[in-house]
Order: sequence, then structure tokens, then C-alpha cells
Amino acid sequence: MPEIKTQDFTAASSQAILDPKLRRALDRVAEGFHVARLDRIEEVTQETWDGWKDQAREIKVHTIEHLDYYLDLLDKNVAAAGGQLHFAKDADEANEIVAHIVRTRDIKVATKSKSMVSEELSLNPVLESLGVEVWETDLGEYIIQLAEETPSHLVAPALHKSKEDVAALFTDKLGIPYDEDIYNMAATARTVLRDKFMEADLGISGANFVVAETGTLVIISNEGNGRLCTSAPRVHIGITGMEKIIPSMQDLSTFLRLLPRSATGQRITSYVSMTTGPRRSDDEDGPEEFHLILVDNGRSKMLADPNLREALYCIRCGACLNICPVYSRIGGHAYGWVYPGPIGAVVSPMLVGLAKAKELPQASSLCGACREVCPINIDIPKMLLNLRTKTAESPDSTQRTAPEMERVLARLYAKLMSSPRLLKIAVRFGRFAQKIERITPFFSPLTKDGKWIRKAHLPILSRWTRSRDLPTLPKQTFHEIWQKELSDE
Amino acid sequence: MNNPNMPGTPKSKFLQSVRDALGREDVPPTQPYPRLTETQAELEEQTAQMRKRLEDRLPTLLDKLAQMAALGGWKVHRASGAEDAIDYIQSVARESGTTSIARSTQDVFEQVPVDAALSNLGIKVTTILWDEDMPRETLREEIRQSGIGITGADYALAETGSLVVLPRRGLARLISVVPPVHIALVRAKDLLETLDDLFLLRRLEYHQQGGEMGSYLNLITGPSRTADIEMTIVEGVHGPKEVHMIILG
Repeated sequence: MPEIKTQDFTAASSQAILDPKLRRALDRVAEGFHVARLDRIEEVTQETWDGWKDQAREIKVHTIEHLDYYLDLLDKNVAAAGGQLHFAKDADEANEIVAHIVRTRDIKVATKSKSMVSEELSLNPVLESLGVEVWETDLGEYIIQLAEETPSHLVAPALHKSKEDVAALFTDKLGIPYDEDIYNMAATARTVLRDKFMEADLGISGANFVVAETGTLVIISNEGNGRLCTSAPRVHIGITGMEKIIPSMQDLSTFLRLLPRSATGQRITSYVSMTTGPRRSDDEDGPEEFHLILVDNGRSKMLADPNLREALYCIRCGACLNICPVYSRIGGHAYGWVYPGPIGAVVSPMLVGLAKAKELPQASSLCGACREVCPINIDIPKMLLNLRTKTAESPDSTQRTAPEMERVLARLYAKLMSSPRLLKIAVRFGRFAQKIERITPFFSPLTKDGKWIRKAHLPILSRWTRSRDLPTLPKQTFHEIWQKELSDE
Repeated sequence: MNNPNMPGTPKSKFLQSVRDALGREDVPPTQPYPRLTETQAELEEQTAQMRKRLEDRLPTLLDKLAQMAALGGWKVHRASGAEDAIDYIQSVARESGTTSIARSTQDVFEQVPVDAALSNLGIKVTTILWDEDMPRETLREEIRQSGIGITGADYALAETGSLVVLPRRGLARLISVVPPVHIALVRAKDLLETLDDLFLLRRLEYHQQGGEMGSYLNLITGPSRTADIEMTIVEGVHGPKEVHMIILG
């Protein structure tokens, strides 16, 4: 698995938020994708859209509840079409399967179309260690491969790079004159990669969907690199998570309506490519071998937890990233692993372990925007809250976010808030302290400009106070107003 | 089939781990998935209804196809007949300045014979149909050298303005993605209304052919494009920059 940096979330996000260039790039994405998405919904009407969402969710719920049945059906139909399905329980096993195919088929050059799961497996270093030349071919993925970085968005992996960055990168890595014209840079990528597509022995793709009924792998793309990866080389390996399965080919209509509109605001992507087995004996072209690797790699942990199971319904459209007030200020890299944004904050802790990613569920204001835009109606805030509960109550101290003292204070706070008598005393004390503050500096670490707790580095409570003030107490509490004016008695 | 040296988890063990996670035994869905229980006769019945609907609405749907295809980035030409279609193809060929074109082997070229017209312009036309004299490798290289790929349609979708091709003998996968220009000839009888129509037909064909649907399907809507650098849309990144849909009828 790629280096896990989820534990550095606090530091990484504090740094990212101060980067004006990143902020501009994120604004561009939010603006571009989000607005186009809304236009597409308006076009088909909200009612129709909601109907599609309900259908999609129903399909996903059914499939995930019967995942074993559909995996079996898929296996049979992939085999019937002349392909091979492989099951991998973790990243190592998936990489070993690819390595075995590479060794036994004398693979020298591999082209890849976009696959988040292959990022999750950290497949490229494995291939390189076997002496295979690996080429990412999605333009964004190609850029970050050259830069030796990781994707920062599910759909637009290189969004954090400006055109100047890319031009400098191309000059540095490809030895071509500096040219920041975006059209010319895309043309450069076309030329370099065209040769590789034709030369490649192996094409590796992800899958947006796999159809159990027919054993078909479905990828959607705009650039055409996915088509070339699945058509030109003599071996095709598709790699994806075991949750990507859908029962019937006819279920695709719903998902093909939802996914492009949610992802980029397109009615449909330039290409939808569907592979069923290797090329037939009569075909003009296409791979002689078709392999599909389905990966668990921690997904069964989500499956086993009824509170988090619906994270497996995700179709990786990225709509929740584009709308998220946290993602749109810190970008994808701060999340420290392959899957960023609200859905990443659920998926990463489950895949890399809660101890390493316990900060991620905190990376949300729980505003609910992600739930609203999700084409599968996935209740992300609910799952984030569930994970927060786990990080608060875990018997394993490495999974807990709060230091012991904060936990004690939280318990005292709970006691205070559940006792009217104690609360009344506390309010009186608070008012007294606010009044006194103007006369004596005794309480000054706690108060400033009439605010009760100021942004200050209070030891113990610093996680609460370093970035926000607690407002002053009102002249009358609701309790007091109730007693004086509203209560009948 | 399964190579004992192949790494990975055996299916039975993998499925058991999934069942363990779901907390239940090996039981099929209590409510069978409706679509998976449909018989061939039922699919045929649905298809007959669909054909009727298409027939009744043909002119409207052809307009819709033209409209959606244009929105999707196709340059749409509604041809009055074969001659007009050939004229259009000639003009695209002239404009592109290409000296070599690859075309698929499909019925539509009997209706719209393009070869002579293009040869008259001094363009070399390669017909894709592999055999001993024209092996796959040679054809692949021809496609690579071609400035334009011309294909027919297996289907066209009004809903999305898409062309559907089912690569097979005579119709290479690469012909519609490698050359910088793609021209597609669509006949009225290729027309479908929705994605549902397409997948219904594919499922029917799968049943009719005893569990065989061919190795590949491509749904093509407009030119190849990317927005990976600063969200600026660039056309023709890996696939064709220019795509033409000629609608006959």
C-alpha cells in the first residue's frame, strides 16, 4: 500500500489551507464540476434525478447484501466469456497475481488507465521492480506519475498543478522546451503515450462497474486512454474493488445517467467501454487474455459493520469532494491517502486502520452537503459520526483522538449539562468572570473582547480553543426567559 | 482453466469471508433479482414493444439524436441520401488533408460506397477485414497511419447522442479511436431511444447467442477530451479530435 500519511492530517491540513495556489485550483474545480452538475439536474428535473438516485441505491443495497451470490455469478460468467477472475484478499495478494501474469507472459511494457484501486495497492512500484515499464495514460495521472506524487482528487487527479507546474515538469522530465500552452501540453502527452499504447504488452484498467449477469467490465472515460489500454495490448488486466459489482447489464442505464452528471456535470462521458472476455477468434483486434482481479483489502471490514456498510455503495464520482467545505479548502493530499474528501474520511480509516486515520472523521463540519449531492444517497455524516464515536470510546487508546484529560473534562461537561442545578451555578460563575475580567486580569487567559474563551493556546483545551472563540453568555439564558415569560406556571 | 500456481485466494474461501462479514450462511437472494429471472421470450416481448415505440416516434427521435449528438460534440450532418453522404465524407477528407483512410467492413458501405469517391481524391482506402493476405498486424499499422477512420453504427442513442459500436471481424476496436478524425454513418434503423433500449437488446442478443455477446462494446459521444490541466477542455487528447456523425434518413 502507498505510504500512509493519514496520521499527519492536522499538520497537513493546516499547511494546505494557507496555500493560495491550491485554493485557486480547488475553487476552479468546485465551480466547474459543481455548477455543471446542478445544470444537468435542472435539465432532467429534480424529481427524475431523485428517482434515479433511489433506483441506484436500491440496486446497490441488494447487491451488497448478496455480494457472495453475485461474486459467484460474476466468476462463472467471466469464465464463460473466456476470461479469468481472481480474488485477492489484500494488496499483496493482488500485486502477486499481477506479478505472476507479468512473469509468465513476458510483459515488458504496461499502459494503465485510471484506477484508484491500483493506487490503493501501490501497484506501480511492484511492476517496476519486475523490470516492467509502466505508463499512466490518463493525462492527470501521467502528470502526477512524472511528478512522483499521488492523486489529489478522484476525478481530476492533478488538479493541484497549475499549467506552469506542468510545463516545468514536462521540461524537466521529457527534456522538451518550456511551453505552458495547455493544448500543446496535451498534444505532447498524446504523442509520447501513443507510441507506448502501441508498444505495450499489457493494459491495466480499473472498473467503474462489473456486471455479474454477463461478466462484463465497464469503464467510462473522456480521453480515450481507457479504450486504448483495453484494446491495443495483448493482455488486459482489470483491477477493482469487490463492491463494484452490479447484477444486470440493464442496471447500467441508471448508473450511466448518474455517474457522469455527478462527476463532471456531463450528460455522458465521451466513452463508455465494455469488455466481456478476451478478443474472440474472429475479432480484428483486442487482447488475447482478459483477467479481472477483485480486491477485498479491508472492504469486508466495512461490510461487517452495518453502520459503515453503505460506504461500499460509493461509485467514486467525487461530488462529495467538490461540495465539501473542508475538502475545498485543503485539497486531497492533506487526507494522507488514496481516497480524499468526505467519502475518503470514511473509507480510509476502514482500509488503513482507525489508529492511523483517527483524525479524518473530524475533518467535517457535518453540514450534510455530501449526503445531499451523493447520487447513491449515502449518509456520509452519519458514518463520520459513527467513526467519531468509535474514536472516542475505543478501548484501544491508539484509536482514540482525545487525550485522557480531555475525556475527563468531556465527562464533567456532560454532567454539568445534564443537571439544571449545576448549569445554573456555572452560568452565574461565567457571568461573574466576564464582569470581573474588565476589572482584573485574573481571568484574562480565558476572556478577550467580551468573548468568554478566546482563541488561545490553553493547555488541555487547546484543540477546542486554538481556532475558535466561545461566544459571551447572553444576558438571559433560555431557561431564565422560559421561567419569566413563557411558562404558564 | 485455473492455474494452480496462480496466487490469490480460492473462490470458496473468498466467498466465505464475504459471508462471514455479512454474518450469514450461503443463501441465495430470497427475492430473486427480477431482471435476472427474465426469459428470452420475455426479453423478445419487451423488444417488440420497444421496436413499436421506435417506429411510432422515428422522425422525432432522429431529430433528438441529431440534437443530442451535436450537444455531445459530434459534427452532425443529416444526409439526404447516399450521394450527399459521400459528398460530405469527401469534403471532410479534403479538409483534413489526409492521404490515407481506414474503413470498417459493415453493411452500410454497400448503401454508401465511399471507396471509389475517396480514391478519386487520391486517398488510399484500407478496408478492415483480416485474412491471410491482410494479417491483423498489417491492418493495425494501416489504422495507425490513417488520418480518418470511417465506421457504421451498430446502434445510435437519441437519449445521449451516442454511437454504439460492437467491435468484431470487419470492425476493429482501434479504427474509431486511433485516427485523429472519426466519421460514423448512422441509418434510421440503427436508432434506439434510450440506454435502457440498448441494454435490453444486448441482453436479448446474449440470450439468443447462448451466452455470447461479443468481446467489446463502445459507446462514443463526441470527441476525446480532457480537462486535467486547470479544468481547460482540450479535445483530441488520446482519441479523435474531430468526430462526424452522418445521419441517413
